Amino acid sequence: MNLFVFLAIAAAMVLIQFVVTRWVKLNRLAWMGIWWVALWAAFSYGINPPLPNSIILLFMAIITIALVAYLSADNEELKQAQDSIVRFMVARQYRVALLIVLFAIPAAVAAWTYVSMNEAPQPPSSGRTIHPPPPSSITFEGTAIDLTTANNPIRELQHTDEAAFAEHVANGRRIYFENCFYCHGDNMQGAGMFAHGYDPLPANFNDATTIAMLQESYLFWRIAKGAPGLPSESTPWSSAMPAWEDFLTQEEIWDVIIFLYEFTGFEPRAQGMPH
Amino acid sequence: MYTAYPVVAQQENDLGTEAQRAEGKEVYDIKCAHCHGYEGDASAVATPYLRPTPRDFTSGNYKFRSTASGELPTTEDIKRSIRLGMPYTSMPAWEGILSETEITNLAYYLKTFESAFDGPYGNPTVVEIPRAPAYSADPDHLARGREVFEANQCADCHGENGRGNGESAPELVDDWGYPIRAADMTKRWTFRASATREDVYRTFMTGLNGTPMPSYEQTIDEEDRWALVDYVWSLSRDTPDYGTTVIVQGQPSELVLGESLFEGVPETYFPIVGQVIEPGRAFYPGVNGISVRAVYNDSEIAIQLRWHDMTAETEGMNNPGIEVPMFDPAQPDTTMDGWSDAVAALLPSRTPEGLERPYFMFGDSRFPMSIWYTDLATDSAAVLTGQGAGRIADNGIALERSASYEDGVWTVQFKGPRNQGGLTMPEATFVPISFTVWDGFSGERGNKRGLSAWYHLYLEPMEAQSAVLPMAKWFLIVLGAELLIVALVNLRARRRKTA
Repeated sequence: MNLFVFLAIAAAMVLIQFVVTRWVKLNRLAWMGIWWVALWAAFSYGINPPLPNSIILLFMAIITIALVAYLSADNEELKQAQDSIVRFMVARQYRVALLIVLFAIPAAVAAWTYVSMNEAPQPPSSGRTIHPPPPSSITFEGTAIDLTTANNPIRELQHTDEAAFAEHVANGRRIYFENCFYCHGDNMQGAGMFAHGYDPLPANFNDATTIAMLQESYLFWRIAKGAPGLPSESTPWSSAMPAWEDFLTQEEIWDVIIFLYEFTGFEPRAQGMPH
Repeated sequence: MYTAYPVVAQQENDLGTEAQRAEGKEVYDIKCAHCHGYEGDASAVATPYLRPTPRDFTSGNYKFRSTASGELPTTEDIKRSIRLGMPYTSMPAWEGILSETEITNLAYYLKTFESAFDGPYGNPTVVEIPRAPAYSADPDHLARGREVFEANQCADCHGENGRGNGESAPELVDDWGYPIRAADMTKRWTFRASATREDVYRTFMTGLNGTPMPSYEQTIDEEDRWALVDYVWSLSRDTPDYGTTVIVQGQPSELVLGESLFEGVPETYFPIVGQVIEPGRAFYPGVNGISVRAVYNDSEIAIQLRWHDMTAETEGMNNPGIEVPMFDPAQPDTTMDGWSDAVAALLPSRTPEGLERPYFMFGDSRFPMSIWYTDLATDSAAVLTGQGAGRIADNGIALERSASYEDGVWTVQFKGPRNQGGLTMPEATFVPISFTVWDGFSGERGNKRGLSAWYHLYLEPMEAQSAVLPMAKWFLIVLGAELLIVALVNLRARRRKTA
């Protein structure tokens, strides 16, 4: 939201309502036009990050229908609006203005055609799935792991043996800073020293939509199988996530998972809860 | 009799309170210790994987200071380094992650690693940096800067044109004996002590402690300093301007490799980062970016790759298929010599349908990759087929190649058929492409390499479609519709009147 844009639009509307109307009488049709432009400006410039053009187009179509519906709700007003349009097209006094409008509209369409034909071509963009559904089980060095029931074996130490748990956290820390932080970064924000060279960007674990909403078994799958283990809707060919089963043992992966949660302060989603 | 001693106002050293240092330690142990060490001595799990090596705080040597060469930094200097980090190193900017209070506490804690902060030199004087005069691109001014550059032997380390390729550059080490690179002045965004003109001025004045970069405070006078700053400034654009698409221009004539082929063709710059994904990981790649141009005609395409390299390794050999040992700090890679520089442009082996493409590493068996490869110790190039690391074979497609190395820049040109069997490159299409550079000096070979993500080539249509006809078409359609409406409305109005 860009508050300044909204305030500016609101101020302009107030100005028109209370000041401009002293000199110029605005009919219903003109008011509809003003509302339409004001809402379009608000959607186009007032929202951060900017809305895609297709969404703005959709919104404006809905608003146009709403304004027409509003106008046609009252027969008297509808007739008034209709009459003013007809008068514009028929009356001799508007002949010059009519000619200007008649040429301005197709000229604008032609200009738009020119602009859209000269736009830089856009490369194909991917509708990438961020958290694809995991398989029900994976094989890790020959042993099958059922992802629907697998729990982090280190997790129970958190309550039974604090010293042992702390050791696993420390080990996870070592693994993270030997292997992961080049991309996922010191603060786990996905902004490591090599992050700018990869596309898609490395995941940000501080974001509430990554590890905070996932089960530990899901993380185990993503870490163990990496990019090559992704389904095709997640563009496995572009992801730089290594398949860590080639580098780390099962216990090391569980340790680093524990560390991710300890460092960010998030809790994993409990096993058995739906995604 | 009393002897009167003059009382010297000794400003107290800025060491913070015990509570501040204790809180600084808490943050340090969580956020910093894995690179800088729990004892501040840069001996920690991540240290061997990083170049430049994380700072050893027990030495009191700080790169970024506002104080004279060899002196300790001020508290504000330390805080600034924490806040802004060191661009293009593993030191991130902590601004926005740590609070101002946490950063202050950290600075006080860092000072505890070196006792000198508590001694008579613990409160050094700041070298005043005057306000920068406006940047001047006046040729005489820049020529003067160039003279100062030459008189002070900047080129010995930074190279004749500042590309970090000076004669002594390959031998440079920091105070701890680790290899260190001279800054590439044509890539200002990589300057560690940040890159405003005042920052560059300060670096000349204060030097970078712990590195071979000395202070020039004594040797260059005020006016010449700004001439030098502006000369260095003139060598680089402001930002890397990383691109995503190479616009490939069409040419009606034959493509003859050489300098003139790519004249006036737009160049796109891509980041190169270490391959840290598969075994043979390259944690400190020798190359950090590659500039690409391309042209095509009705049957062929030519691609030019340019990158900065401190030295040209044209002896020895290289090959994408060479097996590389797993990176292990306990057993450093000892076979660093004998590898030549090499480069590759990587394309899909067949025209991709939709978004699918080969695995960006070296392809996979599902979707192999075409690797346009040249070893710069040879004078030939070939297209290899990659189905992943260790599964790379020559596929027999001939490639023409030219290569030259001049003053720190490799220029390699490839030329091959647009139709490569499975992969066709029709006009007005996007073709995925990625890049790999092997820096022989850094022992890069096989999967130990600098690489890029997938980007695109776009073959711009040879004859741009004229917009005149579609514009006229839409103008007339809309105008016709309008006239019809106006005519109908008028007709009806007249009928009513007569009725």
